[in-house]
Amino acid sequence: MESLTWTGALGPWLNPAIQIAALALVISAIANILVSVFTADDRVHYGPDGAVLQSSNATRYTRTAMMLSLAALILIALGYLVGGILLPAEQKGIIGRISTRFLPVWIALVLVFAISIAFKRRLGLYGHLFDNVIGMIGFGLVAFWVFSAIFADMIITFDPVQDVISGMKNKAPGTPLPSPGEGQYGYYLLGGDAIARDVFSRMVAGARVVLTIAPAATLFAFMVGIVLGVPAGYIGGRFDTVLSFVANLVLAFPVILLFFLLVTPEIVQMGVPTYMAGILFLFPIAFLVILWNSRFHTQPMTRNLLVAGTLLIGGWLYLGLAWDMDPFGLISIPGGVLIVFVSVVFVNSPTVFRIVRGLTLDIRTRDYVAAAQTRGEGRWYIMLWEILPNARGPLLVDFCLRIGYTTILLGTLGFFGLGLPPESPDWGTSINAGRGLLQFFPFPPLVPAVAIMSLVLGLNLLADGLREESLKD
Amino acid sequence: MAKRDYDGPILEIENLSISFFTRMREIPAVMDFSTVVQPGEAMGLVGESGCGKSTVALGVMQDLGVNGRIVGGSIKFKGRDLNDMTPEELRDIRGSEIAMIYQEPMASLNPAMRVGRQLMEVPMIHEGVSEKEAQARARQVVEDVKLPDPERILKAYPHQLSGGQQQRIVIAMALMANPSLLILDEPTTALDVTVEAAIVELVKDLGKKYGTSMLFISHNLGLVLETCDRICVMYSGEAVETGSIEDVFDKMRHPYTQALFRSIPLPGADKNSRPLKAIPGNFPLPHERPPGCNFGPRCDYFQDGRCNAQEIPMVGIEGDDRHDTRCLRVAEIDWDAPVQAEKTHEKGGFGKTVLKMDDLKKYYEVAANALFGGEKKVVKANEAISFEARESETMAIVGESGCGKSTFAKVLMGLETATDGQILLDNREIQDIAIEDRDTKTVSSVQMVFQNPFDTLNPSMTVGRQIMRALEIFGMGASEAERRDKMLELLDLVKLPRAFADRMPRQLSGGQKQRVGIARAFAGDARIVVADEPVSALDVSVQAAVTDLLMEIQRTNKTTLLFISHDLSIVRYLSDRIVVMYLGHIVETGTTDQVFSPPYHPYTEALLSAVPIADTHVEKRRIVLEGDIPSAMNPPSGCPFQTRCRWKSKVPGNKCETELPPMRDLGDGHRTLCWLDEAQMDEMEPVIKIAAE
Repeated sequence: MESLTWTGALGPWLNPAIQIAALALVISAIANILVSVFTADDRVHYGPDGAVLQSSNATRYTRTAMMLSLAALILIALGYLVGGILLPAEQKGIIGRISTRFLPVWIALVLVFAISIAFKRRLGLYGHLFDNVIGMIGFGLVAFWVFSAIFADMIITFDPVQDVISGMKNKAPGTPLPSPGEGQYGYYLLGGDAIARDVFSRMVAGARVVLTIAPAATLFAFMVGIVLGVPAGYIGGRFDTVLSFVANLVLAFPVILLFFLLVTPEIVQMGVPTYMAGILFLFPIAFLVILWNSRFHTQPMTRNLLVAGTLLIGGWLYLGLAWDMDPFGLISIPGGVLIVFVSVVFVNSPTVFRIVRGLTLDIRTRDYVAAAQTRGEGRWYIMLWEILPNARGPLLVDFCLRIGYTTILLGTLGFFGLGLPPESPDWGTSINAGRGLLQFFPFPPLVPAVAIMSLVLGLNLLADGLREESLKD
Repeated sequence: MAKRDYDGPILEIENLSISFFTRMREIPAVMDFSTVVQPGEAMGLVGESGCGKSTVALGVMQDLGVNGRIVGGSIKFKGRDLNDMTPEELRDIRGSEIAMIYQEPMASLNPAMRVGRQLMEVPMIHEGVSEKEAQARARQVVEDVKLPDPERILKAYPHQLSGGQQQRIVIAMALMANPSLLILDEPTTALDVTVEAAIVELVKDLGKKYGTSMLFISHNLGLVLETCDRICVMYSGEAVETGSIEDVFDKMRHPYTQALFRSIPLPGADKNSRPLKAIPGNFPLPHERPPGCNFGPRCDYFQDGRCNAQEIPMVGIEGDDRHDTRCLRVAEIDWDAPVQAEKTHEKGGFGKTVLKMDDLKKYYEVAANALFGGEKKVVKANEAISFEARESETMAIVGESGCGKSTFAKVLMGLETATDGQILLDNREIQDIAIEDRDTKTVSSVQMVFQNPFDTLNPSMTVGRQIMRALEIFGMGASEAERRDKMLELLDLVKLPRAFADRMPRQLSGGQKQRVGIARAFAGDARIVVADEPVSALDVSVQAAVTDLLMEIQRTNKTTLLFISHDLSIVRYLSDRIVVMYLGHIVETGTTDQVFSPPYHPYTEALLSAVPIADTHVEKRRIVLEGDIPSAMNPPSGCPFQTRCRWKSKVPGNKCETELPPMRDLGDGHRTLCWLDEAQMDEMEPVIKIAAE
């Protein structure tokens, strides 16, 4: 069999078209810059509807040209993806085949967008996101990777760890298998890595690893940061001084050195990561118990139910996750993952602590807090039900950004070979494995790098969109 | 740039319309607005928030931002249309010929630059004078605005000055270029009453001295009466009435102006025999204005098919000087008809004593460093507070910022515990019991209504849930369903529709939020309600309705109301007894009549004189206090008021500076903290006199 081309049967049609569109975009962009430089003195103009147009007629033409060529570019790019799906199998190129593999993701994305846009007026802040182009792009990128992680089993073409096929070492994208077995996929779509595994499948499976650890670790970091930060800001005094000092201490410690320390076998044998997990994983349970108790202490029945439920489920998860002692043997995480998880939470929570503390300092001066105090509410009720919900805007934005940082941090950890096992398909480890022969075989490290970039970019854009929309109301 | 000589009107605005453009629609902010300001004339622009008065000012400055645009009409400054000027020409005029003073002084000063430098910049940029000359000019102007020790002030950074001093610097900066037109946008709203009075006095004097024309924007009719020659009343983007102060105040010819005057507490109004008349309904949103007359839906004289059928033009009133009104029925309405009698009430008797304060003291220790302590300073926030409050009595606590009234409320509520003295609630001592340790009944019987309506409700909880939470905490109702019923009853009590239970606070207007706050305070059948300036942040037309509501609930529930305020007009209207506080001390206490008539404490006298009254028949003696309120960190020795007292010289020796005066009884429970002897007290004349009509 022959190697696949990138575009397959679509190439002869769409390749020249996309070149023309790109050229047009570059030319119109340069023209727009030049025209606006030379017409800078023109006064502001108003459109017939009264909208302010800060441009002259000439810049309006160049801008229209720019928009049109950009639209053409996007349309042709979509053409590659959609056309790739529609073409018969033997005419597909690499892009077409990848696009076909991602079919479940496309369907899920279209459904989510259609439903969200249809009901956006009733969906609060999430709905407002669909008024904002930046936010929509960010949400789209993030949702793409989330669905990839969810449907990874349907998307991957080979097992990302087990399938090592001889003769496929460091092969270019689109290389066919030398002797495909019965029911085996015929090609390595994005080439093979240094030990002949499929780069495409590893990228998709890596999304699952990254998207499990990063949001969960961020959530835990937020729990720790909130449980300590709100009281530090609200109660203040010595308590605040000491906690802030500790937070600064953690922040001042070099992160990479901390990670190296945590994965050192001697330290692991001493059980330091486990003990840290033992402490850090207590925070979410404490958070929920305090949350329920402060709200429902006037209704003992409801309170007891909620607290008992939290303690049972939380305690079970806690035993399994932190101490690997699940009585039912259902829940456990591998030691390496636990270390990564603990270190990421440990490093992130001081920053969250400081953000939460700052927000609390601001909100505690509001009259509704004073009103709660004067009707004799407990401290924790005021902190968790009066203050925290009103800090949600900035916290949500920071949560999105922080998942991005955590993703990069995970990549960095993987790159240094810390924590996760070396055969793990996560993106950082893959980049590290491929970096030696980067000059000759760029694809094995390049593909996961682009994946990290697009996910983090998506998260940042999503955070920007959320910030912008939450300020508008 | 040389200033042009021009002897026509300084500012002529003709049929000005300004709109803001959003993604959704065009929002007209000002419509068909015309006015003329003659040289040396002061024009007052009055209206409620959102009526477009500030937009007019920004339109004159041609500073409407990207969304705002003048869609019609012209603004002529000294005969030249500002709309046609280039940005360079506008830059020349702004700051040199038209100067603007904003509400928040700190926002108009550069915090990183010394005051002197900021002042000198103005002539150096606009007239290119030398640094030396600019410095001399700056010094001169700082003296003109009556700031003490000009050398020190010029070298200070803005944050080193008090709010009143900062506002004086802003005024000085505006005057540096000797402008022909001065625009003042609520210049004293952020200041205390006595400081406000001094600034107003200053602005008036400077206006005369420099011959500057003024456009004075305010929501306070009394302030406009004191400062301006002419007035323009705005409602929902339109000028509804304009004319000289005398014509508009005494012969108003627009229903809105009339309703406005009937809803503000003037001397003579009384909560029992002559209650205020609130304007019904709400201010219309800019994109939901009714057809025809904007005031139509709230107007008593509304005629269907006429008032809402056409655009209403401004018409002149014959016989008056440039007195115009935007009312179709101006000739048909009997403007002198007496106010339709509102429901009057019997003056109720007071019950037994509910709350007794005896020699209450609250001191704070302020440490220099949080971690290591360091030198400690004692701030005496409350010093020897004693008074009694009886059932269904309204007790007003009056004072300016820093007088300790909020600390007093905190101690009463149990958020702080007293340093010394007693608070007796039904003869039980509660001064040492913090709120966590108080039993539910005590907590629910002392509740509070807060000042800022936009802050008083938790923005992320529905209105109903917040009231139900209060019920839950106070142990009212056995089940969720019972509490919901009780919550709906409370909404009825404060005259809000029951549908509001499921609304979020951001969907409510300021007055509605304040009503919810009142409902919440009464959730546990409160017997004492501390109202901390409950209406000062509301618009004038809403104030009367909320005050009324408080009074009505008080009457039915026999609540004791502690009304904290700095606004003596409203205090006179609704309170039975008054406590005047200054720097943590009670300086005078007595019934409303006793406090409002001589003999006064010197501070009360100044306070009474400082409050602007929107009535041309009232004659006031002007008593302007020098300087600012001393800091509570560093109070003066002897009498707290001695640094600003004008009677100090009448007391022999230097007793005022060395010894704290005793609390003296002047008879019938009227007590005052002053060294003046009886003969001198008797000499005092009333501050406010109502001239015979």
